[in-house]
Amino acid sequence: MIIRILLLLGLAAIGWFIFLRRNRLPFHIMTVFLLIGAGALAVIFPDITQRAADLVGVGRGADLITYMAIVAVMFVLLHYYSKFVDMQRQLTQVARELAILRGEVDRVAPPAATEQRDATRG
Amino acid sequence: MTPQRSETWVVIAAYNEGRVIREVVREVVRKGWHVVVVDDGSRDDTAAAATMPGAVVLRHAVNLGQGAALQTGIDYALRRGAREIVTFDADGQHAVEDIPCLIAALSTADIALGSRFLGKVEGASGSRMAMLRAATAVSNSLSGMKLTDSHCGLRAFRSTAAPALRITQDRMAHASELLRKIRTSGLRLVEVPVTIKYTEHSKSKGQGGIQAVRILFDYFFRA
Repeated sequence: MIIRILLLLGLAAIGWFIFLRRNRLPFHIMTVFLLIGAGALAVIFPDITQRAADLVGVGRGADLITYMAIVAVMFVLLHYYSKFVDMQRQLTQVARELAILRGEVDRVAPPAATEQRDATRG
Repeated sequence: MTPQRSETWVVIAAYNEGRVIREVVREVVRKGWHVVVVDDGSRDDTAAAATMPGAVVLRHAVNLGQGAALQTGIDYALRRGAREIVTFDADGQHAVEDIPCLIAALSTADIALGSRFLGKVEGASGSRMAMLRAATAVSNSLSGMKLTDSHCGLRAFRSTAAPALRITQDRMAHASELLRKIRTSGLRLVEVPVTIKYTEHSKSKGQGGIQAVRILFDYFFRA
């Protein structure tokens, strides 16, 4: 079936991409490869998902995958949202320190134009 | 140098206020207060317009929001040894004559909040007044306080109160955050009558209904 080939190619592409950018902890890489492997197994042997669905009381294997995917996506969204809030806080801190630092530098060594103006005024 | 009043610093947060900021800063400097203007990453000439002898101008490299700009100014004022800190709006709606009243109120309190409903409002429409009263009512029920005006930008507090009042809400929810921190810290609070003068310019920068939703979101989900 063509769909199986497409799905496997997609998973392989993700795996290759992760492999090229392997600057993370081995644990993260391993988790991703395990997930990809599980996905590949489910594509090659669709019966596995059906049996898992029967086990937990879901009608079809595809439905079970959908439910798990929704929960996973929500988790990922929340994770990145909290990261985003953290980074915003850090950005505020950096911009604030920079603003104050620049103010202090200008006070000690005023920009050329104002220095001359102040000097002539005494 | 102009004679500057003791250790009181006036903090002005400004975003795209190039048209009016110069007059506002000039007024405050003329009265002899220390002034720090925080240009919150404006896209216009706010920083240049605010630059004058007697005023310090700080500049956020990127736009962060009014709450963040106020806290930057407060941090700077504390660095310079401020004993009292006043926050003053950049759009010209506040009167410099009210600053001494706020400072005087600090003799018996840690923080003085301006109240336009105890004082005077000039140039506001009925709907704006109704919205401000509604905002105060909502804010009072959230904070459990009984204020006559919860969202006046003209305030003064002692530097000793500054750590308890630290603003972490970068955008507009900082006003509600401040009230919560006043209440939980047990600081002594007093309301002082002030005069607010609305102009076409300050009205255009005011907060509308959609912003109100955003403020509530920030308040509840980013605290």
